[in-house]
Amino acid sequence: MKSVNSKDLQKMAVADSSPLTTHVLNTSDGVPGAKMALSLHRLDTRLMIWSMISVGTTNEDGYCPGLISREAFIPGMYKLRFETGSYWEGLGKTSFYPYVEIVFTIHNPAERFHLPLLMSSFSYSTCRGN
Amino acid sequence: MSAFRLQQLKSHILFESKIAAMSGSPSPLTTHVLNTALGVPGTNVTLRLYQQDTSTDVWQLITTGTTNDDGRCPGLITQEQFKAGVYKLHFETSQYWASMGQTSFYPYVEIVFTITDPGQKYHVPLLVSRFSYSTYRGS
Repeated sequence: MKSVNSKDLQKMAVADSSPLTTHVLNTSDGVPGAKMALSLHRLDTRLMIWSMISVGTTNEDGYCPGLISREAFIPGMYKLRFETGSYWEGLGKTSFYPYVEIVFTIHNPAERFHLPLLMSSFSYSTCRGN
Repeated sequence: MSAFRLQQLKSHILFESKIAAMSGSPSPLTTHVLNTALGVPGTNVTLRLYQQDTSTDVWQLITTGTTNDDGRCPGLITQEQFKAGVYKLHFETSQYWASMGQTSFYPYVEIVFTITDPGQKYHVPLLVSRFSYSTYRGS
């Protein structure tokens, strides 16, 4: 059985407390989608426009911690936008999709929502996880 | 020539002209909606195709359609209209699930893609369940 050392504890302490998380995977190369710019938006239902909540870049593991705080995570329509076109350009490849936007509805913000993006330069998929 | 033979020839000719009329030129861009939860085509799904104006970035509506029994929607765009540029397919997926009395995580699905060579055929399918979806570039 693996013993937990202080480094693991440190990692766990800064583990993502955001109730909404994502994970980008490059299915072409079988690696995490690292250093991809992304942004989270919520639909303002009064003005019917998207307002940006956070912007970030995926880390070496393809994660982007701290997308949203528990307090800010209210019911509503959200959009995660991934700058996939720039990502593939950075790898010297063209891509069929200039970006990927995933629009989803949150009814119960007390739950956890994990929205992975599995992508190649000519395909992508996503699902609701937790 | 017998009446029967005449009838046979007539039906061949009519069939061919029907094909000619249908395929004036089939759309260079096609889609296919598949309900991966049930393993059936996504029928009666409303969708819209937009083209992005290269100077203003505004989305122009090209076609509104509904998928047929096969989950397909022929006639999305003509070869003449099909220029290089950025396009968007918008699928009214939650309407589709609601028609079956179900909710869905996604209010709609939009797939934005870049056409570099309008001389090619592009197939942009949507494989969808209530809690997942995927797409790929086919031809």
